[in-house]
Amino acid sequence: MIRVPAALGVPLLLCATGTLGVGQEPRSSPAALGTIRGRVEFLRDQPSPERRPAIADLGMPARRDRPDQRVAVVYLESAPRGAFEERPGPTVVLDQRNENFVPHVLAITTGTSVEFRNSDRTYHNVFSLSKANSFDLGRYPPGRSKSVRFDHAGIVRVFCEIHSHMNAFILVFAHRHFALTDAEGDYRIDGVPPGTYTVSVWHPFLAAKSASVRIPEHGGEASLDFALS
Amino acid sequence: MIRSSYGRALVFAAALTAPGGALASEPPDPSAPPPRRLTLGLEAVASAATADPGYFDDTSYGRSALRLLRLRLDASLRLGARAALLAEGRADNGDGVTLSALYLRLRPLPDRPFDIQAGRIPPVFGAFARRGYGADNPLVGQPLVYQYLTSLRADSLPASADDLLLMRGRGWRTHYPIGSGTWTRGLPVIAGDRWDTGVEVRIGAEPVSLSASVSQGTLSDPRVRDDNGGKQVSGRLELRPAVGIVLGASASRGEYVTSEAAGALPGALGRDAYTQKGLGADAEYSRGYWVLRAEGVLSQWAVPRVQAPLVTDSVRAWGGFLEARYKIRPGLFAAARVDHLGFSEVQGTLFGGRPMPWDAPVWRAEAGAGYSLRRNLLLKAVLQHNWRLGVRSSSRSEGIAGAQALLWF
Repeated sequence: MIRVPAALGVPLLLCATGTLGVGQEPRSSPAALGTIRGRVEFLRDQPSPERRPAIADLGMPARRDRPDQRVAVVYLESAPRGAFEERPGPTVVLDQRNENFVPHVLAITTGTSVEFRNSDRTYHNVFSLSKANSFDLGRYPPGRSKSVRFDHAGIVRVFCEIHSHMNAFILVFAHRHFALTDAEGDYRIDGVPPGTYTVSVWHPFLAAKSASVRIPEHGGEASLDFALS
Repeated sequence: MIRSSYGRALVFAAALTAPGGALASEPPDPSAPPPRRLTLGLEAVASAATADPGYFDDTSYGRSALRLLRLRLDASLRLGARAALLAEGRADNGDGVTLSALYLRLRPLPDRPFDIQAGRIPPVFGAFARRGYGADNPLVGQPLVYQYLTSLRADSLPASADDLLLMRGRGWRTHYPIGSGTWTRGLPVIAGDRWDTGVEVRIGAEPVSLSASVSQGTLSDPRVRDDNGGKQVSGRLELRPAVGIVLGASASRGEYVTSEAAGALPGALGRDAYTQKGLGADAEYSRGYWVLRAEGVLSQWAVPRVQAPLVTDSVRAWGGFLEARYKIRPGLFAAARVDHLGFSEVQGTLFGGRPMPWDAPVWRAEAGAGYSLRRNLLLKAVLQHNWRLGVRSSSRSEGIAGAQALLWF
């Protein structure tokens, strides 16, 4: 059983067009780039999505892995103008293992291709009905991969047509100023020009939060922590 | 059939156990043993269709498969690592809640593919009846062999071949001289919408599994309570020789005539076992944007030989369908099914004494498309045409247009 994420309104914010953050105008000076770092604390755990009850099965369903839900994406609501002209990143892999997408949350820039690898022992059928990047890869067997290039910013919710509990999120940014939290909840966004920025944190099921942070003229590091509940 | 009080109890039990279930918000303790966990699934189906004056789509529940408003709640309560309690409650057309499934699932040997299920259980015979959720059926109608009502009944028996021939093509309202005197619907070959009560085991997993069950009713007439003292034995062998290919073979045998109807038979005839025997084969192939399915069923019912002209042998029905679904673009698919149900011949004094199928053979073709507005909101539209052969013209052929909206969580 899949829950409807509470934060589907967020993608509009991701489609930044180069407008500036609040307050002081950021500059793109390579000599004075700064870093925003901090920690995201998850005050509440979300249970992993369950299968719909396998009411018509003749026995126990196969065991499966469960996605790691303690991952958030921290990003600048608005980024320096130059950030939007950068080239897309390399192809990244979203694997399918034990009826689970790995990783559960992926963050990429527009133009990046995602390789959907089937490392399972059964068919999968990856698809998304997200308006910005809809696709359907059809059923393909273990050991095979299929790729999709994501050209539009937004949140792409990914499912498997065969296994209703499988889902993943791909956040497609128009700039590169974002970071995923690590196992401890820490994040780090490098290469941020001086200026004042609105920084937001997104999680599939917990309420999004935003805060303002300032990178000084001489660069350096700014710290910003979040607590999601 | 278990009615609304049980359904309410199910919902109440679900509410009580939810804090420990999938809806819970307590942080999980990874070192703890698997907790009790409740998973719920809710599905709402609304189907509408043009008129069906030939009753081609009536089901054994007395409702049209194409005109149905159904709310269903599925629940799975995990009881540790080796057991689960599963239940399904349905409310059809606002007629109250029916508990359509309630059984215990056990895996006595951990990590061994051996499962036991007891209660009102899913059928082991065939494949279509276990395509439980609405989205598993790419069309709105059901295959003839799982839905179409033949003229046979379990509680009302023909005395002669002429009695059978008189009821040809009248499965929606039929009646015979022996047993119940009411006019009501006949039996489908397989009641795809109802589940039997009993015990089943499954041994093995991929690529080979074997399932067997002992239950109260028959393919045509699954039951909660036994009505004749007989049991049905059924089995299924399933092979998955390669990814995307499923092959199945099924067989069943069970007594279908009610004790009351058998008791109304003269003398020793009433002590005979009147069985329904079934054989089935099914196949599924899927790859890329295609899913192809085919299924064939042969069913045989023993009928009493009471008076001339005698029904000299068991009556048989055979049915089969071929179904295809193709995804055109994300969220949009097209599907079609071709379907047939045929019947063995009996010879009476009617129809000039010529051998005739004991029920009117039927063909059905259905085609349509589905579009997912959201992942869990599916709209389908279909055109269905039915042909009933060898009957009077008013119920011989009809076309039906239908639509269905399906929402699930």
